[in-house]
Amino acid sequence: MGMIKDTRDYVADAWQAWNRFWFTPTDPATFSLIRLLAGGMLFYTHLVWSLDLQAFLGPNGWLSVDFIRQMQGEQWSVWSVFFWIEQPWAIWCVHIFALVVFFCLMVGLFSRSTAVLGFLLAVSYAQRISPGAFFGLDKLNCMFALYLMLGPCGARYSLDRIWRLRQGETNDAPASASANMAIRLIQLHLCIIYLFSGLAKLLGENWQAGTALWWAVANFEYQSLDATWLADWPMLIGLATHVTIFWELFYVGLMWNRFTRPISLWIAVIVHGGIALFMGMITFGLTMIFANLSFVAPSTVRRWVDPLAGRVASMLTGGK
Amino acid sequence: MSKKRHENQPPGSGEPSKPDKIRPAKPKRPASGLPWNPALRGFLSLLIALHLLAVFAAPWNLSTNPALPPGFMMPVDANGRPQPVSRDHPALQQPVVPRALGRFFNHYLNLAYLNHGYQFFAPDPAGTHIIDFQVTKPDGTVVKGRFPDLKEQWPRLLYHRHMMLAEQTELMGSDSGQQYADHLARLHGGHCRMEWTVHLMLSPEEVKAGTALDDPKTYRVLATVESQVGNPNNAAGEMPIAIPGGTQ
Repeated sequence: MGMIKDTRDYVADAWQAWNRFWFTPTDPATFSLIRLLAGGMLFYTHLVWSLDLQAFLGPNGWLSVDFIRQMQGEQWSVWSVFFWIEQPWAIWCVHIFALVVFFCLMVGLFSRSTAVLGFLLAVSYAQRISPGAFFGLDKLNCMFALYLMLGPCGARYSLDRIWRLRQGETNDAPASASANMAIRLIQLHLCIIYLFSGLAKLLGENWQAGTALWWAVANFEYQSLDATWLADWPMLIGLATHVTIFWELFYVGLMWNRFTRPISLWIAVIVHGGIALFMGMITFGLTMIFANLSFVAPSTVRRWVDPLAGRVASMLTGGK
Repeated sequence: MSKKRHENQPPGSGEPSKPDKIRPAKPKRPASGLPWNPALRGFLSLLIALHLLAVFAAPWNLSTNPALPPGFMMPVDANGRPQPVSRDHPALQQPVVPRALGRFFNHYLNLAYLNHGYQFFAPDPAGTHIIDFQVTKPDGTVVKGRFPDLKEQWPRLLYHRHMMLAEQTELMGSDSGQQYADHLARLHGGHCRMEWTVHLMLSPEEVKAGTALDDPKTYRVLATVESQVGNPNNAAGEMPIAIPGGTQ
């Protein structure tokens, strides 16, 4: 009887803990900040396509639609609106519509609707360029777009919020269970990304030897700031390489311990900030930092962002 | 859990009570304080678990490789040199669990663009690929270019997209090079000749010895491709060769 009762208690406790973890309503500040930043990145990423739209997305660009479909295995579930439209004017219409959607998502206008449209459009672009021109930025963009659909991403730091204030709403943005669920999904998705990124690096001889950082900074095509002075600092190269791989492998544990979380967050800023500064991957580096912000408590976000957001809101509402 | 089990023991059920050591039980937060009814939360929990399993299965499936059994005797050529086995060799053992999960979630992962391996700079950082092209128009004028090229492709993200075009040629095979050549021939109207080059990297010792990262000897042409606008029978040039590893 004792064992059965203990097991029953364990299951009940685990179910309660699971419920609290996923469904406790939370202040949507962190979620809203991620909408603002990820929406900005989605807008910028797609704005840049405008500079060579037909070459990358047109039916007869660098890689034809037929070729891409063939590379993707002709699967029905790999879909893109750009597989079905051929006329340049139609591609431009979709593109301009997408830019409007991503801009609205960034500023938080009709947030719930633009989040859904943003996801569909982000996947459409990404599938058209995979393989070919895709990289980690597109994976992160689509991940954000997916989870932004799930909660009230425009509850704070948005034109939707300012509109509600202008309409006379005085209540604070309510705590939201779906915002918590979306943030949890971003957090766990990020843990899976880092785990497999670390496991893949374990197979690399240069990661094992502690020299991989050198081969990253010695890559001329990636280089945006010269870091070849590291040639004189083999211990620093080794240390940074080993820290990177251990941090990625143990990211999940480091992030869920409140004492190691700030350290882990700072490592994320240094690693991804380094990629942005020295390897020219500013967009990818920033996007990974944005994803790490999902671990920042809403109260901290409000302490950082509310003063600025309040000033912007005052300007837009005429001080009301 | 063991601590909680002691705390929750009913009074007078075996062990003598020690009131001075018993701490008040940690109050449980009632699940009823949560939004939505239990059935909806249960349904959402199922969806969350399936979604996370799918997100986990994608890189697991993509990053695992089949393995040969221990002690497998590799086939050898006439000179006794071991030969690689083909991907469909019957002795290869497939990682059945990630493969099964990958198949099960395949369409869901595709629909949401989640079918990725997340192998950033793995297994090892490698040299980048560059494509140089030259299009000769019917009037004899020549258009030359390269991608990626910082001078031509701006901002950095557009440069990076062009870098990926050159880089993923290796992933897509020689037909992709033909696609690029055809595109350039159509765009500029003429005959396109394209070179696919790998830019090898230098060791710390070579850099300390004064060799520049873009020293001409660090570039090695791997393949050439040609295309003529309006020619339906464009054929690939030399077939790409394996990319040499390590530094030179």
